[in-house]
Amino acid sequence: MRGENRLLQLSVKDDGFLFDPSTGDTYVANPTALAIVRGLQAGRDEAQVVDQIVAEYDVTPAEAHRDTADLLGRLKSWQLV
Amino acid sequence: MKELVIGVSGINAADNPGPGTGIARSLKEDTDLGARIIGLAYDALEPGIYMDWLFDRSFTLPYPSTGGEEFLDRLLEIQASEGLDWVIPNLDVELPLYIKYADKLSEAGIRTFLPSMRQFRLRGKDKLPEAAARFGVDVPKTFVVSSEEELYGACEQIGYPVFVKGAYYQAHRAYTSLEAAAKFRAVAAEWGYPVIVQQSVTGEDLNLVGVGDGEGGLLGSVAMKKISTTSLGKVWSAVTLKNELLDEAARRFVAGVRWRGPFELECILDRRNDRLFLIEINPRFPAWSYFATGVGVNLPALMIRRALGLPIDPRPDYEAGRFFMRYTSEIVTELDRFQCVMTQGSVR
Repeated sequence: MRGENRLLQLSVKDDGFLFDPSTGDTYVANPTALAIVRGLQAGRDEAQVVDQIVAEYDVTPAEAHRDTADLLGRLKSWQLV
Repeated sequence: MKELVIGVSGINAADNPGPGTGIARSLKEDTDLGARIIGLAYDALEPGIYMDWLFDRSFTLPYPSTGGEEFLDRLLEIQASEGLDWVIPNLDVELPLYIKYADKLSEAGIRTFLPSMRQFRLRGKDKLPEAAARFGVDVPKTFVVSSEEELYGACEQIGYPVFVKGAYYQAHRAYTSLEAAAKFRAVAAEWGYPVIVQQSVTGEDLNLVGVGDGEGGLLGSVAMKKISTTSLGKVWSAVTLKNELLDEAARRFVAGVRWRGPFELECILDRRNDRLFLIEINPRFPAWSYFATGVGVNLPALMIRRALGLPIDPRPDYEAGRFFMRYTSEIVTELDRFQCVMTQGSVR
């Protein structure tokens, strides 16, 4: 199963617990990572997710961009995107 | 209907657990089946003997290596005493005997639900690449070797690290030729020849338990990922999952081989390349079989029900994300249980 599908099928709980039903992998996301994952699951691209983080959290666009890029890198390394 | 009496082996619920106690528990949970369960042990210290809430009576059997006639005679003795209708054998080393004597046992009124000897041999570790090619599933590069010279040749072709495996049990990873040779000698000393040398594939270890109906269909299956294992590599905690590649491999296996009976697929998922590698096919229920029952797919009961023509759920299903955790426990009982098994070979 390709990465995009794996991210979409990820079970995401409000407390940040993520479960991949196709591999059994589990992850724990902090609130910012959780918001990014939910944004990506909702179909937003990286720039839209950055805007969403800036709107929801007290962070600068640069900080939001760094966090989003960092998480996307991790998601890629786990073949989730 | 006469009370159903089912013999279950592999009741050594120890650090390297057999599947028997989980199977007995599954059968007991199908209360409509109302089965009486007989534990079949090889040693007086198999914990199942002392689990009287699972086993109504337990007997010791001669080791399969003592020969078929003695083994068969003991089963017939138990049948005469208990009215044994079924046996679910759960240990790799005893399966060839049960398969060989399946007709004789059936004539005596003891039924089994097992593959043929040809099917059993086809899924052996030494024949795995051939079997997998028949049903179109990838396997890591595998060589069957019987000498150190053959071992070195195989390792050179595969490249390190490799797995060195016994024909029945044990697998060791080796990173160098020296290490491979040491593991080869250790495995050969314990399990004999041939020894299997297999490419080490990286990815997620995924397992699936299922039952084939012998006509190419799957009665049911449950897949899981081990979250933690013991030092012997036995599952201690796990989570259910649903993986299309793994489900497809199971369907192809039972359809391609027309597998009859329980089986376990041990696979590795290479996520980077979206490929599933089949590592082993175990011709029996695995020790974690109760996990499937716990999530709603009671495979031992389904197997018995199907064979008896009793109603079954045609598509038993489960949820991904159910959790399994083993734990240790103790039984305190009278010494006379141990005494009975030691002196009479059975206990109520």
